[in-house]
Amino acid sequence: MKNIEIIQYAQDVLLKAGAEKVQCSLRKSEKHELNVAAGEINLFRTTFNTNLSLTGILKNKKGSITINTLDKKSIDEAAKQVIELAESSKPDEANDISEKQPAKDFSSGPKKPDIDKMYSNLKEFMEYSKEAYPNTILEGINYDFTFSDSILVNSNEVKFGSNKGLYTVVVMFTTKEGKKISSFNYVVYLSKDLEKSIKDCGSIDRLLKQSSEQLETFSIPEKFVGNVIITPDCMDDIIGGVTGFLGDYPLITGVSVYKDKLDKKIADSKLTLHSKPLSEVLASNYYVTYDGFEAGNSTIINKGVLKTFLLGLYGSRKTGLPKAVNQGGCYIIDSGDTSYDEIIKSTEKGILLCRFSGGNPSDNGDFSGVAKNSYYIENGKIKYPISETMINGNLVEMIKNIVQISSERVNSGYHIYPWIKFDGLTVSGK
Amino acid sequence: MILKDLKKYSKYFTEYTELRVQENRNIRISMVNGDIMGNSRTAIGGVSARVYKEGAWGFASNPELDEETIKQVIESATKNALFIDSREKMNKPELPNKKGSSENDFTTSIQKKSQKEMIEFMKKIDDYIKGKFKKLASRTIVVSCLDMEKSLLTSDGSISYSMIPRTIGYVTMTVEKDKQPYELYEVYGGFGQFEDNFENAEDLFPKLNEQYKHLINKSEGIYAEAGIHDCILDADLAGILAHEAIGHTTEADIVKGGSVAGDFLNQKVANELITLVDFANHFEGKLCPVPLFIDDEGTLAEDAIIIEDGVLKKYMNTKEYANHFQMDLTGNARAYSFSDEPLVRMRNTAILPGKSKLEDMIASIENGYYLMQSSNGQADSTSEFMFGVVKGYEIKNGKLGKAIKDTTISGIAFDMLKTVTMVSDDMVWSCGGFCGKKQMLPVGMGGPAIKCKVNIGGK
Repeated sequence: MKNIEIIQYAQDVLLKAGAEKVQCSLRKSEKHELNVAAGEINLFRTTFNTNLSLTGILKNKKGSITINTLDKKSIDEAAKQVIELAESSKPDEANDISEKQPAKDFSSGPKKPDIDKMYSNLKEFMEYSKEAYPNTILEGINYDFTFSDSILVNSNEVKFGSNKGLYTVVVMFTTKEGKKISSFNYVVYLSKDLEKSIKDCGSIDRLLKQSSEQLETFSIPEKFVGNVIITPDCMDDIIGGVTGFLGDYPLITGVSVYKDKLDKKIADSKLTLHSKPLSEVLASNYYVTYDGFEAGNSTIINKGVLKTFLLGLYGSRKTGLPKAVNQGGCYIIDSGDTSYDEIIKSTEKGILLCRFSGGNPSDNGDFSGVAKNSYYIENGKIKYPISETMINGNLVEMIKNIVQISSERVNSGYHIYPWIKFDGLTVSGK
Repeated sequence: MILKDLKKYSKYFTEYTELRVQENRNIRISMVNGDIMGNSRTAIGGVSARVYKEGAWGFASNPELDEETIKQVIESATKNALFIDSREKMNKPELPNKKGSSENDFTTSIQKKSQKEMIEFMKKIDDYIKGKFKKLASRTIVVSCLDMEKSLLTSDGSISYSMIPRTIGYVTMTVEKDKQPYELYEVYGGFGQFEDNFENAEDLFPKLNEQYKHLINKSEGIYAEAGIHDCILDADLAGILAHEAIGHTTEADIVKGGSVAGDFLNQKVANELITLVDFANHFEGKLCPVPLFIDDEGTLAEDAIIIEDGVLKKYMNTKEYANHFQMDLTGNARAYSFSDEPLVRMRNTAILPGKSKLEDMIASIENGYYLMQSSNGQADSTSEFMFGVVKGYEIKNGKLGKAIKDTTISGIAFDMLKTVTMVSDDMVWSCGGFCGKKQMLPVGMGGPAIKCKVNIGGK
């Protein structure tokens, strides 16, 4: 059966089995992946995957099944189980499916990989790294092309199709000379083509260079409360923490620190954060949300003011708050008006935080963790790489205390972030 | 049941080949403040083949299980191995083996419960929490069941079939104090299916009472004082220390990638009170949380003694890395899904118990902390580690004092283990461990309580 026939068959079977509302989605994907381990290209993977998800609602009770076998017998059995699951559940008026929208098909990226080009890119990068950073070990590289073909339908006549081709490179590395060793670091870059050399993608070369300088690290001279400059490479730890307070779960349970902050100021007015799944400059873009809506771009924080939560259909109906136009991700922070060099120069004492190994933030925003692959700054200069340094703060307070945002930004293919200097964080050493 | 007998497909093998058929089945139900927020089942399975040719590996997988697809998967994996071999020409030697044959089916012998009965069980827990703990701002109960069923055939003669289940119940309670939310979660359950772990809801009530008491203490607690302190890491933290900070640095692929443990073989890396083992399937005659009998390369799984009386003795390995380091095979090759290749992975990693009593260990500290439960953990190739701590108490003059709010501890594991002065005589396995090295995979972690010096984050 063709994909559309499979999914329409699944929807019909569910409706016949007694579901009042139905959503079905099918995703078929094909991945080709070259792998490097400890500096050697030693594995080539080709994998095919299928996911058929069936959701049924009856009497406001919901059940969901995901399978990866697509024959009629398996779908019949799965539909029967969906009804059993729904019947076993409790009624909840918030359970629903998306309303009727115009049918659309979306497409982005190539449909087939260029394996020979991937291989030559990888060889070129490994040779570059060996020459430029001879003591740096490319501990692991996963370089893949994934093509996915997806379709989502529901019983409100929603029908969205999308296919997408995407290259992803993940590089993990450590520098070692004799018994001296750096912390490992890693970088992820997403792209729809192979035009750029791997070394020129996102932060890859900068982080390799940093690693090569981090064989000898030092403790900070003293504990202090002050400036921490978050690099684009670890900005997700901050943005992920903040947006984590805006989703279904914290708002339904009522524990979100931002539950009554819509249209109120929650951050310094220098901060503007967007979620742009339709952006063509982000390779990770998407067109359809998991709950069956065509995705749109949004501004989450505009000049410090919270403009939207990240609620899905269920969360919105449960809380009575507006549904988001997307499911988050594809984050872009507006650039500031200070150059990176000026930010460093204007820092009397602080940390350049390049990777953060931290515990999950508490519900009230408190967080703490270790500064990895990071540097101590004094009198406007980067002095030395640091070790055994902890950073403590509170996310809610932190985003109110922004000192500067850089004019430069880095596009990793899944977000675009600048460097941001925050004040008021506690930095402690050994 | 999945396709069990794979022998007839060996006719398609032309090089060293592993052929695996696997299905992972999940049940996940989440109840938030009494509402069912999630109620789902997943069954994802298929076939994979991995082929080795003189140092080059090829891998392929497909969800379809007909003979033609299985043949194509083996051919595709072979072609991929030849693609790498023709370009890289590594000329590495043949792989070693420690072959075996085993069948281990841990499907419950108790009558299976329906999803409706599972929800009723959760409802009883929820009713108890709602009725008993009036100060709570929210409550969440999640049941997550995973059955991993696998068949394996290797060209060097290993055959295995296994069905390894695990069932976890997560209970999260939140209170508000001075307009600030405080949360504490506990993990219940472990090895086995739902019926093996959760017979009567009432059995959990005393544990829920304890959880609530600790949460209230935490909401009224203090921030830890930042800096290095004498601490007691309870079993949960000792387990994550064993896994994250020592275990990962002694995985042979990480060692080859530059881990600091590469320089420490047969050297003293810890106080002689410390012996650390990655158990294959049993500890003191009882099944471990994630038992493994034959790994995903067909190697008979054996216990790997990593640190013995403070000395680093061994790296965990797969066939490729046993060759590289000229070590005996340990049977640590594991894959999560049918579409994942086996990697060097831990099984059940634990520090062995000592001789001290926990109460004596607490009494021996004048000013420090008793750290009881971790949230997440990460470690580095340098062995520098970080663990989130969500439950703990200060120790003042040998006695437990106020609870502490969430914090983080860190240190260099191979330095920190030299500061260990006491190890308790008990042993507790944590039941819900997952490891995220490329693929999320259930692991067992355990240990006694240990007394050591550690850097704690705070104000």
